[in-house]
Amino acid sequence: MKALTFASRNIKEILRDPISWIFCVGFPIVMLALMSVINNSIPPEANMTVFSIESLSPGIMVFGFTFVMLFAALLVSGDRSEAFLLRVFTSPLKPVNYITGYILPLILLAVLQSLVNMTASLIMALVLGKSLDIPMMLLSIIAALPAIIMFVSFGILFGTAFNKNAAPGLCSVIICLSGMMGGIWMDVENIGGTIYDICNALPFYHCVKSARLILGGDIAGGFTESGIVLIWAVIVTLFAVILFKKKIRF
Amino acid sequence: MNAAELISLRKEYKNITAVKDVSFTIKDGEVFALLGMNGAGKTTILKMLSCLTKPTKGDALVFGKSIVKEPEKVKELIGISPQENSFAKKLTVEENLRFMCGIYGMDKEKTNKNVEEIIGQFSLSDVRGQMAGKLSGGWQKRLSIAMAIITEPKLLFLDEPTLGLDVMARRDLWKIIESLKGKMSIIITTHYLEESEHLADRIAVVKEGNLKAIGTLSELQQLTGEEKLEEIFLKISE
Repeated sequence: MKALTFASRNIKEILRDPISWIFCVGFPIVMLALMSVINNSIPPEANMTVFSIESLSPGIMVFGFTFVMLFAALLVSGDRSEAFLLRVFTSPLKPVNYITGYILPLILLAVLQSLVNMTASLIMALVLGKSLDIPMMLLSIIAALPAIIMFVSFGILFGTAFNKNAAPGLCSVIICLSGMMGGIWMDVENIGGTIYDICNALPFYHCVKSARLILGGDIAGGFTESGIVLIWAVIVTLFAVILFKKKIRF
Repeated sequence: MNAAELISLRKEYKNITAVKDVSFTIKDGEVFALLGMNGAGKTTILKMLSCLTKPTKGDALVFGKSIVKEPEKVKELIGISPQENSFAKKLTVEENLRFMCGIYGMDKEKTNKNVEEIIGQFSLSDVRGQMAGKLSGGWQKRLSIAMAIITEPKLLFLDEPTLGLDVMARRDLWKIIESLKGKMSIIITTHYLEESEHLADRIAVVKEGNLKAIGTLSELQQLTGEEKLEEIFLKISE
């Protein structure tokens, strides 16, 4: 109950910030439209499928999570920089209540963003004369839950470890890494070699691959990838909880 | 039972000892002022008593509960109004008050009752729907104290409660703090000596982490041979 009170405050803080709406609603639509225009300009002989709507939609869904990570970092580092958290630290709230209170609303925001992305993708597919499988898209959002938790925990970790000026900078590193190494903006499988090995060792590629496989009808393969992300999510969340617990008493 | 009992409380940071084996007691129901120059250790004492930082040595008992061994129990007994603004800026005044009740685990009925009582007591009805971040300084301080007492603490910490306020707003807050006398124990840190003179039952002066003097105003007058608190403070702080 105490965690839900804290979560409710965080939801209100996020939803009352216009930036949240710009990134949650505006971002997927703009990115989908922009990348589809780019895709139309690429000749078919190039055999480049990264920007086709079937690949683009899952990629942008995962890329959107990186901005939720940024919100998490801004929210936590912002709270830490103000006396608000000082007051809350003197209350009987436990570290688990804080972490749950931060994670829950951000998961909700990420799911909402995914649904907006799904709707925009369906419209875009119709415009392009293609079709996307709605149940599979919904399933890919469920399979993306470990990815959502991982990115939110990254945000909480950075927001706890660094101040509100440094935390967004570190988030930018993850945003770039997930864009490139996640295979959102480049076909890492075709590139192969060391780049592929690095991508395979990091969680971002598995986040994107999970959603792409499920959208392509390979549910088992998608959830296997999701399982790899789950291990990362557990590790990052544990780090976030330990660090937050340490910082709760200065 | 004493509201707080400090037993050789010490806080060391890397290069500095902020509080040096300080011992004193605060009686139940009294308003206790902690005076000192900048960096004297007032806020560090407050932070230790409110379980925000662990003492390096020593202990303090808040209504018999140890800040070292039972911080969770201590946290249920205290309320704090920090020096800086300490509310959720994007929540309204009423939402901030309800938030405090929620994190202390109050049920809906109790929350509604306490929110209405506090809004009445602090005359917040005109601003109850306004975003806290958009209130003027005086109203923000008022909200900050309201948030600290809505959870019915037995020991209230007010860290520079009237800092930066104009005379009118300061006097208004004094009235509110006076109205709390006897209902809970209060520890105030302040730079305004007339504030301690006006509100406090007892006064302690700290300097460079040491307790230099403690007593009622008349006891401090006797100790120093000075009449005005400003002179008393300067003499003790020399």
